[in-house]
Amino acid sequence: MSDSEPAAPRRILGIPASPGVVVGRAFVVDRRRVTVPRWHVPADGVDAEIARFRLALVAARAQLEGIKSRLASDGSDHSGILEAHLMMLGDDMLIVQVEQAIRDECVNAEWALRRTVEKIKEVFDATSDDYFRERRSDVDFVGERVLRQLMGDPTELPRPGDMHGPLVLVAHELSPADTAALARSNVAAFVTEVGTGTSHTAIMARALTMPAVVGAPDALRTIASGDLLVVDGLRGVVLRNPTDGECADATDRGERYGAFVLSLRSNTARPACTRDGHAVKLRANIELPGEAAVAIDHGADGIGLYRTEFLYIDRREPPSEEEQFETFKRIVATMAPRIVTLRTFDLGGDKFSTAFRIPKEMNPALGVRAVRLALRERDVFRAQLRAMLRASCFGEVRIMVPMVTAVGELRAARAEFELAKRELAARGESWVDVPFGIMIETPSAVTMADLLAREADFFSIGTNDLVQYTLAIDRGNVNVAHLASTFDPSILRAIAAVCRAARERGIPCAVCGAMAADLLSLPVLLGLGVFELSVEPTAVPEVKEALRRIDVSEARELASQLLDMPTAAEIEARVRARWEPVLTSLLLGGEAGQYTETGRFVLPEYRPSA
Amino acid sequence: MDQAESTIEVLNERGLHARPVTRIAQTASRFKCEVTLTRDGQTANAKSVMGMLLLVCPKGCAVTVRAQGDGAQMAVDAVCKLFTDRFGEGI
Repeated sequence: MSDSEPAAPRRILGIPASPGVVVGRAFVVDRRRVTVPRWHVPADGVDAEIARFRLALVAARAQLEGIKSRLASDGSDHSGILEAHLMMLGDDMLIVQVEQAIRDECVNAEWALRRTVEKIKEVFDATSDDYFRERRSDVDFVGERVLRQLMGDPTELPRPGDMHGPLVLVAHELSPADTAALARSNVAAFVTEVGTGTSHTAIMARALTMPAVVGAPDALRTIASGDLLVVDGLRGVVLRNPTDGECADATDRGERYGAFVLSLRSNTARPACTRDGHAVKLRANIELPGEAAVAIDHGADGIGLYRTEFLYIDRREPPSEEEQFETFKRIVATMAPRIVTLRTFDLGGDKFSTAFRIPKEMNPALGVRAVRLALRERDVFRAQLRAMLRASCFGEVRIMVPMVTAVGELRAARAEFELAKRELAARGESWVDVPFGIMIETPSAVTMADLLAREADFFSIGTNDLVQYTLAIDRGNVNVAHLASTFDPSILRAIAAVCRAARERGIPCAVCGAMAADLLSLPVLLGLGVFELSVEPTAVPEVKEALRRIDVSEARELASQLLDMPTAAEIEARVRARWEPVLTSLLLGGEAGQYTETGRFVLPEYRPSA
Repeated sequence: MDQAESTIEVLNERGLHARPVTRIAQTASRFKCEVTLTRDGQTANAKSVMGMLLLVCPKGCAVTVRAQGDGAQMAVDAVCKLFTDRFGEGI
């Protein structure tokens, strides 16, 4: 397959989104709509155009026959569906309509085919039967195959069961749900064209300890299904069709990384504290109840963020109070006596739930999301708050509201919180009063931090959204994502201001965004006064290890200099110059970097064997 | 010209989805005569997978199988047998 495109680059550089190194076969999932060209075909060219269409049909048939004969051995469902697809390829209904469109409208075969497929799909869409409505994907599948033949892109779409051994999923984009589904398959790594280190997909990948490279441009155009790939999630590099030597090297590095992670984990019982003895509360961000055990296993000091919205995704009705209570209780009891920070649902924005009728919005990141949705759906919000209050009987809990932008919102949310307590009291249920805090994720919350601190019991800074809203950068937009730096002076100043406001009112202030797990940002956060961190469970050991290498007194001095610096580049350069030598071996997953006898730190030289 | 017709109920669980329809088309294509399926006044060519899928025949609906031309009766019988065999899907 790769022979057909000798010019494609062998090395694809992306963003390292989840560490580890894997060698596997590419499994390409291209769900984007192919852009179908349209052009006018002169009357004397119609016959030639129809001939081109028929050739494409023959080629698509041959391709399907090939797949079918390879599958024939397993005699399973697949060959039945392929048989149906083959029949569709020879179906008059399709062929006649396409040829008629070419002839009558003098358009090219691609356009005629797309139009015909759309028309057939419309009929399926109009039927009331769910099962039949799903059948339109078969028509799509057949249409795509012919289209790819017409457009000279003979990509073979294998099925996961068709391939053995570790697979590398290559896609334009994966939804968090897609990523979660990967955990149950033989997919060992993934590569996407869009996304950043802080996109939800990347977060999920790290939770699943699955190496990932995101933001890899043209991955779909370059990589064909079946290609052997090395995915280096430590450096953000994908190698296509590696040599035997490169494979051996990658396998070796993957194993070394695994051993390194294990060695860190053997130290999980140590307390989280800095080199000069400052204690740090190091907690975990989780979104699945089962991750609570993972968090403890990795040495987390509690849950700094439990994303409850995952209870609401992929369902038609919001979960009941009882269902949520059972889930929260399980997590709280598992973690006890460690604290669990339950965040009320953060839906809307890029996390769409079918449980709510969220109006279609031009700009959902600035629309009805998080606390705004909660205050529109107050009954659902209070049901969740009641479940949280009841779960508080089983351990230490605090409740956190996302995306607060104004004191009025905090008050409205707190009023619901108080009402929820009264409702429980009226029902005679037992519950425990708990701290009620907010996430600081918007510029307005930063500006108002001093006044918010009077009414909130704690703060937690969500750096991912804070960066997005402060810098006006969509973190999923590959064209601007590189501009989104947590080293931006505006972000540092925002964190400093929020910490100061919290300190003055004597309330805790945590950081629970991706910045907390960015080892190079740790000295910055400590220097700015953050001593509560929440990171993905699997990142806990390395953050703990990094903390032990940092002196707070020095970090403070550095931070005061950084707050005077005008650009992200300068700040990052300063941080790197001072801290990279100390933290790099961690950044590279414990690879060779070490101190020499004279105390000099030697960086590992990266030598791709190519 | 030979003509034959028979109305039969869809018995298999998921109705005339891709696989049953494929088997009907394969069977019908063995005959020279024209074979059609009709449901609720809508008719599809029994040699066209897509046409039959678009009839949307879930379990329990009644479908009329018609044939016209050489071997019409045999064609109708062969297609109806697929229905009564539940397209090999078991119960």
